Amino acid sequence: MSTSTSADNPIYGPFFGVMGAASAIIFSALGAAYGTAKSGTGIAAMSVMRPELIMKSIIPVVMAGIIAIYGLVVAVLIAGQLDVPQNYSLYKGFIHLGAGLSVGFSGMAAGFAIGIVGDAGVRGTAQQPRLFVGMILILIFAEVLGLYGLIVAIYMYTK
Amino acid sequence: MSNKSKKATSGATDGGQQKLAKQRSHDYQDYSAFKVVLFYCSLIVFLPVVTFFVLKGFVLERFFTMSDIKVNIAAAVGAVAALHVSLGVYIYRAYFGGSKSSKED
Repeated sequence: MSTSTSADNPIYGPFFGVMGAASAIIFSALGAAYGTAKSGTGIAAMSVMRPELIMKSIIPVVMAGIIAIYGLVVAVLIAGQLDVPQNYSLYKGFIHLGAGLSVGFSGMAAGFAIGIVGDAGVRGTAQQPRLFVGMILILIFAEVLGLYGLIVAIYMYTK
Repeated sequence: MSNKSKKATSGATDGGQQKLAKQRSHDYQDYSAFKVVLFYCSLIVFLPVVTFFVLKGFVLERFFTMSDIKVNIAAAVGAVAALHVSLGVYIYRAYFGGSKSSKED
């Protein structure tokens, strides 16, 4: 049994892959939760005076939820490749750890940005409806930060 | 005297009915907005997940020569594309449909 593991396929090889899958979803969910909570307080404060704007003001919450879906996709991709140490090289583990960390931390950064922009933007849109287009643009630019992390993670995953 | 009191009571009931009708229309608007938001939110949450697994199954079945990694990549890219299309449809609806309903108010 001990002869089947070697320097290239050590017993701790899958540990890095598992950590990659876990960090992908953990950090993405952390960012998405912060974005949802921060913009949710803004929506709750705004909706007291302008309840007809609910549909427009839900958009930051939806965009924060999408960040978590990026992490979910990468975590599912990595988890599909996990295997016993004999079939899972250490190199693969490193690649998967890098992919998970890249989408996880990018998602956390994007979630923080969406939360802060969503809070201020939703409160501002209640006062000046023309701000809506600007808020959407800023939210999209915050969202693509997470998308860049996803692209890098998928590119690493193909190596 | 009795006429007057009758008029007053009928006026009060009219006002009450108007208030009730207003309340009902508000409730109806809230309900329709809730239905739209719920539909789009469930679309955005579930469509990518369904697309991922359906695409994985179908691509695996149709193009059997593709490697496992390529199938996974195609499914992931398809899921993310479906996600952004549904988000774009929601923003379009919120931008154009939302302004119309606020004009009606």
